[in-house]
Amino acid sequence: MASSPTVPSTTVREAGKGRGGRGAGMEARDLWFSYDGKANILQGVDLTVQRGLMTMILGRSGSGKTTLLKVLQGLLSPQRGYVRLLAPEQVVQGSQPRGSVAYVPQTLGLVRNMTALENALAGALGRVGTMRTLVRSFPRRVVEEAHETLTSLGLADKTDEQVFRLSGGERQRVAIARALMQQPALILADECVSQLDPITAEGILEMMRGIAREGGVGFLITTHETDVVAKYADRVVVVQQGTISHDGPGEAVSMDEMLELLR
Amino acid sequence: MNRRLMVSRAVYLLIVAGAGISLYRMGLLDPGELGPAASRLAEFSASLLPPDTGVLPTLLKAMVETIEIAFVGTLLGFVISLPLAFLGTRTLFGPWVSGGARLFIGSIRTIPSLLWGVVFVVGFGLGPAAGALAVSLYTVGYLGKLYYEAFEGVDPEVLEAVRSVGSNRPQLITYAVLPEAANAVISQLLFMFEYNIRASTIMGFVGAGGIGFFMLGYLQLLQYQNLMTAILLTLAVVMAVDYLSARLRSLILPSMQTRTGRAPLLAGLTALWR
Repeated sequence: MASSPTVPSTTVREAGKGRGGRGAGMEARDLWFSYDGKANILQGVDLTVQRGLMTMILGRSGSGKTTLLKVLQGLLSPQRGYVRLLAPEQVVQGSQPRGSVAYVPQTLGLVRNMTALENALAGALGRVGTMRTLVRSFPRRVVEEAHETLTSLGLADKTDEQVFRLSGGERQRVAIARALMQQPALILADECVSQLDPITAEGILEMMRGIAREGGVGFLITTHETDVVAKYADRVVVVQQGTISHDGPGEAVSMDEMLELLR
Repeated sequence: MNRRLMVSRAVYLLIVAGAGISLYRMGLLDPGELGPAASRLAEFSASLLPPDTGVLPTLLKAMVETIEIAFVGTLLGFVISLPLAFLGTRTLFGPWVSGGARLFIGSIRTIPSLLWGVVFVVGFGLGPAAGALAVSLYTVGYLGKLYYEAFEGVDPEVLEAVRSVGSNRPQLITYAVLPEAANAVISQLLFMFEYNIRASTIMGFVGAGGIGFFMLGYLQLLQYQNLMTAILLTLAVVMAVDYLSARLRSLILPSMQTRTGRAPLLAGLTALWR
């Protein structure tokens, strides 16, 4: 059985190091995006993401939450507008993934046939030489870092286990480990706890909050669960039909108000 | 009767009518043709028995050559088809590159293996080298297509997740596409080897080595009891390869493993790779 997560560890505290101090994060201005050139999924989105905080994007299915995350990460290129990383300062054009912004998709995107350690190491691909990674010869310090990260997330005895043998909560933690191995300033997580039971989901969100507070990593999490937002959001952003209809501190919004905003 | 039911009944009727017309045109519904044909077949079957085991030593040597042709052909074909399949994967490369690779793979597939055999016999002369090359090209045509389809079937979220860490295309292939499609790659490779054993058998018909050369000779010289020995030997080898590849598949593929741990062979391969 996996040991319980103990966050944050040294590795986690160092996750966002060297990419600017707390508060600096990402700024998006006037983002417009359409898959087919006709229906606009995003319609002039303005958003600033802070490091060290849990920002939650609340919205109904099909409101544009996932598309917004992909545009922010650089997997999709907006037709109009720009995304600027504030630390280190960088404006990225076109669909170019940003190494300092980690992305955890809704289905986690883990490679089933690879072990937890191999999946975590995949997070370091952008900062290790291509030839070394192609022969799976990662530098010793990177392997140790991956071990430490998995251990700090309570997966010390699961490192050599293939992902398809792990439980839902364990897979979730492997995905977070992969994200942390990027040494990101921000982690964008899409509906990351929607498929977990309430107790496991709470554990994962507590862990994320620990990483945000201690490691200075900013989390931008999409969800449609108002109770999750009420308990864990430092900031709430509501997306409706591709536009932001509300953006404010988490504690300022009640459950009833959130439900009203979602209508 | 609703429209959907009417359409499905019309389709069934068309299939039955089409089959009936084709059977009639081929003479397969004519008792005047079928009766004599059945008696000739019975006569031929009787002449196959008993098999003559005196030719077994010669046939065993030829069978080893047939297995070699299949083995080398499959291996060569696999090595060539893998990079071609990556190029043909639309989720990895743009339409020009993937379209070009698909066209190339498709054009190789258009030509039957026996014809490739003739082509290589012209180039390399009679013998197993021509057979192995013919089988390898045939393998490229089929494995190439099966592989790019398997690579395109990889979960897009896995690709996005690995792309998002800042990986380049070779890394994306190594850390997402290949591991995710590994089961299909191995399974189809083993199937192709089984298939190539059968394909290599007939390579001898055009002088490209193996047991087929003797089969054709026995047919032409009316030595049917020798032919029967060759057929039974081929059957035994095909069944043995079927059994062995099924065993290998269950050792390698994770979906067929027990939950107690990684399969020994896979663990060994992974350890070697590390």
